[in-house]
Amino acid sequence: MLRYVLDRVKSSVVVLLVVSIITFAVLMIIPGDPAQLILGTEATTEMVEELHAAMGLDRPLYQQYLGWLNDLLHLDMGTSYVYGESVKSLITGSLPVTLSISVFAMIIAVFFAFLFGMLSAIKKNSIIDYFSRSIMQLGTAIPSFWIGMVFIVYFGLKLKLFPVSGFVPFSDDFGGFIKSITLPSVVLAIGETGTLLRIVRSSMLDSLNQDYMDMAKVKGLGARKIYIKYALRGALIAPLTIIGMQFAKLAGGTVVVETIFSLPGLGRLVLGAVEHRDIVLLQGLVMFITAMVIFITLAVDVLIMFINPRIKSFQRGE
Amino acid sequence: MMNEIMNDADNTVILKNLHVSDSMGNTLVSSSSITIKMGEIFGLVGESGSGKTLTAKSLINLLPDDLCCSADEMIVAGKNMLEISLREKKAHIGKNAGYIPQNTVFFLHPMIKIKNQIADGFIDHTNKNKKEALEKAEGILRKVGFSNPKSVLNYYPWQLSGGMRQRINIAMALMNDPKLIVADEPTTALDSTVQKQVMELFRSINEELSISILLISHNLGLVKNYSHSLAVMYAGAVVESGTTKSVFENPKHPYTQLLIDIIPTMKIKKTEPLAEIPGYVQEKGRDTKGCLFRDRCPKAMEICENYVKEHEDGGHYFRCNLD
Repeated sequence: MLRYVLDRVKSSVVVLLVVSIITFAVLMIIPGDPAQLILGTEATTEMVEELHAAMGLDRPLYQQYLGWLNDLLHLDMGTSYVYGESVKSLITGSLPVTLSISVFAMIIAVFFAFLFGMLSAIKKNSIIDYFSRSIMQLGTAIPSFWIGMVFIVYFGLKLKLFPVSGFVPFSDDFGGFIKSITLPSVVLAIGETGTLLRIVRSSMLDSLNQDYMDMAKVKGLGARKIYIKYALRGALIAPLTIIGMQFAKLAGGTVVVETIFSLPGLGRLVLGAVEHRDIVLLQGLVMFITAMVIFITLAVDVLIMFINPRIKSFQRGE
Repeated sequence: MMNEIMNDADNTVILKNLHVSDSMGNTLVSSSSITIKMGEIFGLVGESGSGKTLTAKSLINLLPDDLCCSADEMIVAGKNMLEISLREKKAHIGKNAGYIPQNTVFFLHPMIKIKNQIADGFIDHTNKNKKEALEKAEGILRKVGFSNPKSVLNYYPWQLSGGMRQRINIAMALMNDPKLIVADEPTTALDSTVQKQVMELFRSINEELSISILLISHNLGLVKNYSHSLAVMYAGAVVESGTTKSVFENPKHPYTQLLIDIIPTMKIKKTEPLAEIPGYVQEKGRDTKGCLFRDRCPKAMEICENYVKEHEDGGHYFRCNLD
């Protein structure tokens, strides 16, 4: 068990290293000189070269890489040219925004996907099944920028229930925090619910057809035990994997929704860094988001191993 | 002894004229009747697709949702299943019947430890707590041949062999002290040495606890050795039933006669091909008034097309136009 986790951590470190090399290489290769960018078009060649030397950009690439990696290991991701702030503080500033809406969105999506996914599998071809299938279609089909704007117009401007933009930190005002993340979270959740519902429904149907369900029925168990202890337990793995992927995707920044609701989240930070060729910030962000995605995937895998301990023995080749 | 008049209380199962059909209206099982006496092993034999499993599953309320069944009478462990609600049926079956499947792999939930699935039915039906339930489970596991029940309880099903899993299934079926155990080809997935162990276990359960066992099998030799009574099914209908002794000594139906003739023996010569009954079990037209076996029957007559006579003599039943 511990060995399985350690194995996974080891391979995660390797992935991170590879990603760091690729990130560094790609951002070095693409055209655009950060020194030129900082100094502007008026700068003389001497000034640019001076700045190169100051920033270490005149060293050989591998030295630059090792220096960057070393700083990274000390959690020093450098300073953004554009914002003039340390990358670390930029990330820690925008992370709570993205994490709050991602977590809230996933809670909503998981609740509805499991509720309707299970019901529609148990009562296949009933009204509730048709209803759930419509949710699936709509959820995946409706574009988030459109539903986001509809929400802003209706709930924000007409009914004035929620603020139309901005983020209120958790520590400032809890009610305001919830209000400020509700609309963006619901918009994100609509997109994810459809996909997740589909997976829950199909794995639940699969589980309901398994022979162990016959056994549970013969035992005369109550519906709660039959459907939750036996059927749901057997149907958890695929949805959990998808939840992990969805959460990792959202946590890595949701550009469209953050833009619509003017939320200062990770997605907007990435967008700004790309627009302004802020290479230091971009490198830092890519590494941070990769690490976060790897961590989430790892956590989900460990969770799945608890639910289906058989995976352990597959790993050992038994 | 067989001629004694039994009253209903002595029978664990009375099933009269069972009819099972699918959602398209095709008949799968027609006019099948079986009576299982208290404390006997009752063999239900027939080829694949003859309706053995459907007949047994209708008794324990396990038919797939798209099939519907009707019967003139269906009494299981003292209750008329036709008169009680679905909820009562579930509780009654859960309490009084056990089910042992053919396939040992998928009937135990692979992600739940044995100790968390062996006793949940018992807990539901008796208001005992889990500790008491597990104590009982240990005793039963010891009875079905585990010398280390405590550690077995902590295993996941996939950590055990096929024979062990089948014994777990048997132990699970015994948890509620059932009156009836339905064993659907319980030894088909096991090799022959384990098969013998499991069958001996059934015999000892039957003898010591006087639990009735409905043993479904396509292996006539096995049924001959272990059952007290039997019924032979063909294309969804019981064609002959009676005590094992009388059916084997004096088979009346041509199908039963052929089945008995083709049981492989040790005397078989290497060059001689195994005997078989030519043709297949028909899928369609099972609701005919005539004899279902007529197309494969060596003794078929013209009358078999439209009519089949039912005989009943001292508990030995068969349906054939021959006497």
